[in-house]
Amino acid sequence: MSTVPLPLLEAAEDPRTRPPLVLGDNDFASVTDKVCGIVERPRPPIAWYIAFAISSALTALLVAMLGYLFLAGIGVWGLNIPVGWGFDITNFVFWVGIGHAGTLISAILFLFRQKWRTGINRFAEAMTIFAVICAGMFPAIHTGRPWFDYWLFPYPNQMQVWPNFRSPLIWDVFAVSTYFTVSLMFWYTGMIPDLATLRDRATTRLRRIVYGVLSLGWRGSGRHWHRYERVYLLLAALATPLVLSVHSVVSFDFAVSQLPGWHSTIFPPYFVAGAIFSGFAMVLTLLIPVRSFFHLEELITTRHLENMAKITLATGLIVAYSYGIEFFMAWYSGNPYEKFTLANRALGPYAWAFWIVLFCNVVVPQALWFKRPRTTPWMLVGISILINVGMWFERFVIIVTSLSRDFIPSSWGYYKPTWVELCTLAGSFGLFLTLFLLFLRFGPMIAMAEIKSVMPAAGLERGPHRGHGQYWGEIPHQHERRQEEGQP
Amino acid sequence: MGKEYWRSLDELADTPEFRALVENEFPGLSEELLSPRTRRAFLKIMGASLGAAGLASCRWPKELILPFAHRPEGRTPGVPQQYATAMELGGAAVGLLVTSFDGRPIKIEGNPLHPTSKGTATALAQASLLELYDPDRSRQPIRREGAQELVQSWDDFTTFAGSHFASLRAVRGKGLAVLSEESSSPSLARLRARFSEVFPEGSWYKWEPVTRDSEREGTALLFGAPYRPHYRLDAADVIVCLDADPLFDHPAALMHARDFAARRRAEDGTMNRLYAVEPMVSLTGAMADHRLAAASRDVATVAANLVLELLALRVPFAEDNRALAAELESARGRTPASPMIAAAARDLANSRGKGLVLAGPRQPARVHTLACLANLALGNVGTTVGFTPEPEGARPLHADGIKGLTTASGEGRVATLLVLGGNPAYDAPADVGFGAALARVGTSIHLSGYDDETSHLCRWHVPRAHYLETWGDVRAWDGTVSVQQPLIEALYGGRSPIELLALVLGEATTNGHEIVRYTLSEFTKAVDFEVTWRRTLHDGVLAGSARGTVRPQPVSHGPLGLKGEAPNAVPGEGTSGSVEVVFCPDARVHDGRFANNAWLQELSDPLTKITWDNAASLSPATAAAVGVKHGDVIRLKRAGRELEVAAYVMPGQADGTAVLPLGYGRTAAGKVGTGVGFDAYVLRTSDALHFAGAVTVEKTGRSHTLACTHDHYAIDTVGFEERGKRIGALVREGTLAEYLTNPAFARERFEEHVSLPLFNPQKYSGEHQWGMSIDLSVCIGCNACVVACQAENNTPVVGKEQVVRGREMHWIRVDRYFEGPPESPGIVFQPLACQHCENAPCEEVCPVGATLHSDEGLNEQVYNRCVGTRYCSNNCPYKVRRFNFFNYFKSVPEVQKMAFNPNVTVRGRGVMEKCTFCVQRIEAVKIAAGNDRRPIRDGEIVPACAQTCPTQAIVFGDLKDPGSRVSRLHAHQRSYGILGELDTRPRNLYLARLRNPSPELEEPT
Repeated sequence: MSTVPLPLLEAAEDPRTRPPLVLGDNDFASVTDKVCGIVERPRPPIAWYIAFAISSALTALLVAMLGYLFLAGIGVWGLNIPVGWGFDITNFVFWVGIGHAGTLISAILFLFRQKWRTGINRFAEAMTIFAVICAGMFPAIHTGRPWFDYWLFPYPNQMQVWPNFRSPLIWDVFAVSTYFTVSLMFWYTGMIPDLATLRDRATTRLRRIVYGVLSLGWRGSGRHWHRYERVYLLLAALATPLVLSVHSVVSFDFAVSQLPGWHSTIFPPYFVAGAIFSGFAMVLTLLIPVRSFFHLEELITTRHLENMAKITLATGLIVAYSYGIEFFMAWYSGNPYEKFTLANRALGPYAWAFWIVLFCNVVVPQALWFKRPRTTPWMLVGISILINVGMWFERFVIIVTSLSRDFIPSSWGYYKPTWVELCTLAGSFGLFLTLFLLFLRFGPMIAMAEIKSVMPAAGLERGPHRGHGQYWGEIPHQHERRQEEGQP
Repeated sequence: MGKEYWRSLDELADTPEFRALVENEFPGLSEELLSPRTRRAFLKIMGASLGAAGLASCRWPKELILPFAHRPEGRTPGVPQQYATAMELGGAAVGLLVTSFDGRPIKIEGNPLHPTSKGTATALAQASLLELYDPDRSRQPIRREGAQELVQSWDDFTTFAGSHFASLRAVRGKGLAVLSEESSSPSLARLRARFSEVFPEGSWYKWEPVTRDSEREGTALLFGAPYRPHYRLDAADVIVCLDADPLFDHPAALMHARDFAARRRAEDGTMNRLYAVEPMVSLTGAMADHRLAAASRDVATVAANLVLELLALRVPFAEDNRALAAELESARGRTPASPMIAAAARDLANSRGKGLVLAGPRQPARVHTLACLANLALGNVGTTVGFTPEPEGARPLHADGIKGLTTASGEGRVATLLVLGGNPAYDAPADVGFGAALARVGTSIHLSGYDDETSHLCRWHVPRAHYLETWGDVRAWDGTVSVQQPLIEALYGGRSPIELLALVLGEATTNGHEIVRYTLSEFTKAVDFEVTWRRTLHDGVLAGSARGTVRPQPVSHGPLGLKGEAPNAVPGEGTSGSVEVVFCPDARVHDGRFANNAWLQELSDPLTKITWDNAASLSPATAAAVGVKHGDVIRLKRAGRELEVAAYVMPGQADGTAVLPLGYGRTAAGKVGTGVGFDAYVLRTSDALHFAGAVTVEKTGRSHTLACTHDHYAIDTVGFEERGKRIGALVREGTLAEYLTNPAFARERFEEHVSLPLFNPQKYSGEHQWGMSIDLSVCIGCNACVVACQAENNTPVVGKEQVVRGREMHWIRVDRYFEGPPESPGIVFQPLACQHCENAPCEEVCPVGATLHSDEGLNEQVYNRCVGTRYCSNNCPYKVRRFNFFNYFKSVPEVQKMAFNPNVTVRGRGVMEKCTFCVQRIEAVKIAAGNDRRPIRDGEIVPACAQTCPTQAIVFGDLKDPGSRVSRLHAHQRSYGILGELDTRPRNLYLARLRNPSPELEEPT
């Protein structure tokens, strides 16, 4: 067997060759050791404990806020007539948006054969799942009578009453639940080989049992890989339209209504772009500290970060364009209500929020045109955090400013969140981070099996093997062997 | 229904057994039975005596209870009955019809047979229902010994009063004084005459904080004796109001509003023309075709100018009034002659006998004299204005009344003071020192519904029964006598003033029923009194009891005192200056007596839209000069008296004035009203009951949250400009001339770009298609509809905090907009409830289908199905949906639950609600018509708002019937829908507002 020439590090700058996706003196074993090592440490580092203490305290705060909300009623929030939705739906759209990056990286980049995704996809998918959990909570708690939320599901019932299928909120229920289900399956399916690795390396009985159950009897046989690859591909194909559909449907909540500032045909693509924008920013926000904390720079390279920064920039430009189009359409349509809504956003009582949005989402991402911010982790973290802030406020501005001043001036109002809403928002971050920290502690946060396939050691560049994601049809050499054995 | 009922009672009551039964529909409701702890026991008894409670309107006082073994004829449990009664406010009554549901009064409406109300009722009268069930009303007599408060029983009080007043009778009433509020009651008048006989040395004083005494003074000055003017606004082509608000702040306001509206619809191509001169912005001023803002003290000179203009137009003033001209001439020039006054004078001169000049109660006597002179000269007396002699013409002015009492008390001439109603410790002029006077009185007894400020200072507090609980008799502004009949046994065992007075006098009977019957039998001198009595009870009015108008002859009078007044000082730049303060009754709590009424507290002021507060209104220029904005606290100082009060910037108000609504800042009103707002009485002295000049104003630097239902916050430039742009299309307004040239101006002026529907419009196949029409020409913005809706539909009261958050629950709101320059804006009103859109945006977005259309075109809200996403409200362009953010009924006291309309669901937390077009009333009529196998008559179904509207601006009916009133109004040229460009196809259309400006005053365009 010929030795695989390891590319030199400088080759990264050589435009003729693709730069390596795993740096350093890593082979399969060292990758496994690095990733599993995080999970297998007898106890996590003290910083993890600190982070976990904070995030679980925030989660407890969330639980307390929900308890208070359910006992007292929606009135503990600052909502009113005309502003029927405030932090609740803002948070929902924000978290759904965050939940976009994972599946985009897993599914769409997979289908586009962007091999660099392997370093970050597991991480991003986990983030998706947790973000969608946070997102799904808000529509459930925002109703006046949450104990009747199940009425939003079409189930046969003695009342012979069905939901109103014309309502975008029903579409939301379907879109978000489908997205969550598929994302969860996708995440879990992709994790099976790695869970099996953890099982195989398990040193305690408990770990053996837990990882053993979770890995569903994975033995790494060719047939297993065959099935696995096929399911993964199918799920990727299934998830891809969902990435686009879920936020389109979320945007219908607004676009289908007739409120000036909501009623807009540009919303579906605009929301999807915004979601990816915010999702990537969130991945960067979390990934960079984790990468440095667990010393994963060789697996999650600067190139990974730079690629994500580029996607962030691209989607950010779409978002900026959409902002422009909103203003253009307000003027071009000649609709006085629309015109006022936009003027009111920029100059009215919520102007401060609008200018935060513009600064964070339009001005700040322009830094990513430059290589230095793209390749400097702390700068990227800063930019990403600002983008996240901006995207949260974008949803706030869309929802609240439009509602606060609609058609009839006498009913104009002003919405101010209460401390309960602020704590609920903080609590949702707590829930998200708690789940995330648990995942870091107990799950394989880097797709070991996948990342190995893009290492030169796999030799997948040269036949007869094909790497993860490059496979369709039967496994070639198996086919050849069958032929050799005289089978059909 | 009522008619049959009385007949059957007649028959039944004649049998001795039944009489025995009926006379005792309530067992001796002892005090502990009525305390909240044993509410269940109370309700049990209520239930057992359902039928008898229904007969409560003919309460015979005996002590016995028996359940009905047989249902009395004509009485069906669950079918509401209506009884006629009347409410008195400040000495004038409005006739009411009270709906009683199984013995519980649940709704107050106007009595259609009453000349003043004609079926409509004011917001105050309707809301008085809530007071009946107010748990804060006092339940037992209280004796105060120093700091000690002893709760006593009625027996204790009766024993005390019996011996105390018997000993006073022995000394011919020496040292006894009575202070009563203004009352029109014939029984009280009769007992007062008895008082003079029994206690010849006793004295009787009267005090009423909100008075029309200046009218008495003015007419007395001219005619030698006080006369009461009665206006016929429907006969007037030109009306000039001198600080008068006949449409709202007048005992006959309901009648005036109706008469005024009759001339505003331009059905015959004509309209009346209304000129208003006033310091504050009144509802009449808002309706005026021309309005001049003038400080209160300048109104007199404006009136002088008007008379001078009339003189110049050779209007024949009486010969002996030539001296007047000279005096007026000397006063002319103090205020610059306004072109509006000249135009008004020309209009008046051109429509002699069909004009009307009104002076308001806050203007001094001379303005009333001038108004009377003008009316006499113009030949309006007899056509648009009539006079009746003032009852009690010899009564001293109220300010003198209370001063007389305090003087007598100061001189030690009052040992026993009986305060019959009122709350003088709170509302007496600040300078007379009533509290100190009261302290000097040995035995003071206060009859009052609440243990209030005055009660706290009196030796005895005696609970007063609510007018819905007692027998009484009252007279309307025109003298029409009504009998108040109890709808329910006194919940807290109170007594009425006449009952207490009878007790004090040692009358043979202290029974209200007998007192009133006796008075009325004396009054009518009818041979067949029983028939008259029953007819009066049934109709609610004693036929032919109105006072006949007379033509008083002017007597020569002295100078009117127009000279020698310095013009108003204008506040200086910076933080302080001097303003004129105007004291006016509040539109909701009146003089303070309704302060504990949550419906009224939550009702927004018609003009400021403030709830749960009052504020000093300042004109924009004055506010700018003082350096305050909306909600800033200012300090008003007047002759050593000081008031800190929140400021409200009121466009259209006269510069240099601060308008202070009375009735707030109560310290012992009850749980609802105590501590709400600012007590303007502290600045009000007996020499300046209505307005006071030279009040220094300075800002304090603090601010106060005012809960307004409009403009929840100070508006920014973008919003201000946009609002200005939108009002024109929402409230479409044109002049009479414009309307006559192009009747369809309202529709044509605003080209609507309706987007074509993508889908076929929904077809409505129901037998009826309900619709509503609201005539903006006649809506005076009085809020009666809002209270009617609240009472009818069990709408919760949410409190100030929630209103500040923007969560008020009224299903119908009256939008108030200003247009034009802030110093002289046009003011328009627009009642807005659910529009019942045929293509309803709310329905499409509800995820669970909780809001749906009926085939009769009603947009229906299914409370049981609502999960509360609030999406419907977000998508409602009219924002008329209301959300139960909390369980707003959680804290409703048990007793107040008796006020609920049992035909309307009480909504829980987390559901959306909104106007239903009073679907319960629609269904009730449908069922009744169905039972009779007859079609529903047009006008038979009347939603609560339409029922009570004083101007009948709201019309409801079946659009499928082309002859129905609403169909004709929908087809009317003035009819238009708002936000039509959204293709919502509202079922509620508006009729464009018409104004009739004087052609010579119209601004050049």
